[in-house]
Amino acid sequence: MIEVANLSKRFGKTQAVRDLSFSVEPGTVTGFLGPNGAGKSTTLRSVLGLVHPDAGGATVLGVPYRELDRPVHRVGAVLEASEVHPGRSGRNHLRVLAAAAGLPRSRVEEVLALVELSAAAKRRVKGYSLGMRQRLGLATALLGDPEVLVLDEPANGLDPAGVRWLRDLLRSLAAEDRTILVSSHVLAEVAQTVDRVVIIHRGTLVQQASIAEVLAGAQGATRVRSPEASRLRGLLTAAGATVTDVGKGTLAVDRAPEKIGEIAAANGIVLHELTIERATLEEVFLELTGGETTQ
Amino acid sequence: MSALVRSELLKIRTIRSWWAYLIVIVVFTGLAVAAQIGSADGIDRGTVDFQSDLVETAGIALLLAIILGITIVTTEFRFGTVTPTFLATPSRQLVIGAKAIAGVVVAAGFALLSLVVVAAVALPWLTIVDAETHLADSEIWTRAAQQILSSVLWALMGVAIGAVVQSQVAALVGTLVWIFLGETLLIGIFGLVDVDGAAAYLPFQALDAADGSGGGDLLSYGPGVAVSLVWVALLGIVGAARTHRRDVT
Repeated sequence: MIEVANLSKRFGKTQAVRDLSFSVEPGTVTGFLGPNGAGKSTTLRSVLGLVHPDAGGATVLGVPYRELDRPVHRVGAVLEASEVHPGRSGRNHLRVLAAAAGLPRSRVEEVLALVELSAAAKRRVKGYSLGMRQRLGLATALLGDPEVLVLDEPANGLDPAGVRWLRDLLRSLAAEDRTILVSSHVLAEVAQTVDRVVIIHRGTLVQQASIAEVLAGAQGATRVRSPEASRLRGLLTAAGATVTDVGKGTLAVDRAPEKIGEIAAANGIVLHELTIERATLEEVFLELTGGETTQ
Repeated sequence: MSALVRSELLKIRTIRSWWAYLIVIVVFTGLAVAAQIGSADGIDRGTVDFQSDLVETAGIALLLAIILGITIVTTEFRFGTVTPTFLATPSRQLVIGAKAIAGVVVAAGFALLSLVVVAAVALPWLTIVDAETHLADSEIWTRAAQQILSSVLWALMGVAIGAVVQSQVAALVGTLVWIFLGETLLIGIFGLVDVDGAAAYLPFQALDAADGSGGGDLLSYGPGVAVSLVWVALLGIVGAARTHRRDVT
């Protein structure tokens, strides 16, 4: 369980995070979303005691991270896949951290197998692909078999098969009642994995809700196709709707299909198609964050 | 704490530069001893003075000890490994402390290795040329012990400098420039303003006195060790404070 309360942090002239509050419930996968530069990494680093907030703060499992006893056994985190000495092998990277946490060597082999990196374990990290570094990062986070996982952009650099593998892994970890906070700047990447989302933009909270609520709240349009599109358009506009002609006799209307059907029937207009058009996840995301995503 | 020190020692041993340190120590100590014996007069070779000077060629280890000390702190900032390190051990002072202890262990090992090389080159050579060897002489053993302590002090100084400066290149270059240029310049300035005595208290003048070879305007051995420790403590406190306050981004 993670609580962030009134967190603020400024780096020089940049206000990275401003009065941010949210909470992550146990046993859920929560997506921490925002465009690049929204303050996600600063927030996560503050949660993990790496960055000193100017105001406010965060607790993990009820206490500030730096006061946790044996933190590796409670919280697993990976912030950047590149935070490994390039000249050290993947296995030795894990052995170093296992030694510091008092974990046996056998645990290193277990997590290597879990992230399917055993074959490359004795190679130096210098030669790893970004996807392999991501797997090594995950292995690092899982070393202490922690109940809380904090992962910053873990899907970056993974191929589609890797993204799917990551999704299955996170779902199975969540099924074991762990708390998982996973950040991303691409909503679609985590949409099938997360239960809840926390969306931030320019260091402030935009929305904290379940993924279903986010989708329901999205403004959907209705698509209507008719041989008398221009007459229908006039009638709908007269009724106060906003209508966009999308060509070939098809209109996009910001009214429910029932309303459009009634108007068409009352005026004897034939309809060939009447469908609800759901906003895609990315559209919702762009709308919430002011259309400033970079990807 | 012992788990942390084990982790730090493992960090040192699991990158290739570890072998570079060992090779440099063996090769350079060997060459220095050979040059010294080869260029000495036959009569000198059998004296205690000459042979305790041979022990001092193990001083090659000092420079490697300070480079190691600086590197074990700064490499974490250079490659970002400081993030997983601090996540595993949120108390940053403990991390610096573990690095200092690991530095002490390895630096003592460096000096020992260097001394073994001195013995391995000097003993057969001196025996062949029929020079009397003074292995049982207490001065030889004292000098050897002082070499080990000296190497430890240089490593501690390196860890402290690393914690203060944090940037690897700045710390390494800055330290070398300070040793070979900075202090010489300051000694000159002290002479101009008539406070020559203060020069002996400069950090690397004190460390120089702490290897037991004595000489010049240096402090005597005991005060040399004490002043070195004061410098290590001062820099260590500043370094620990800077590391504690730092935002790891």
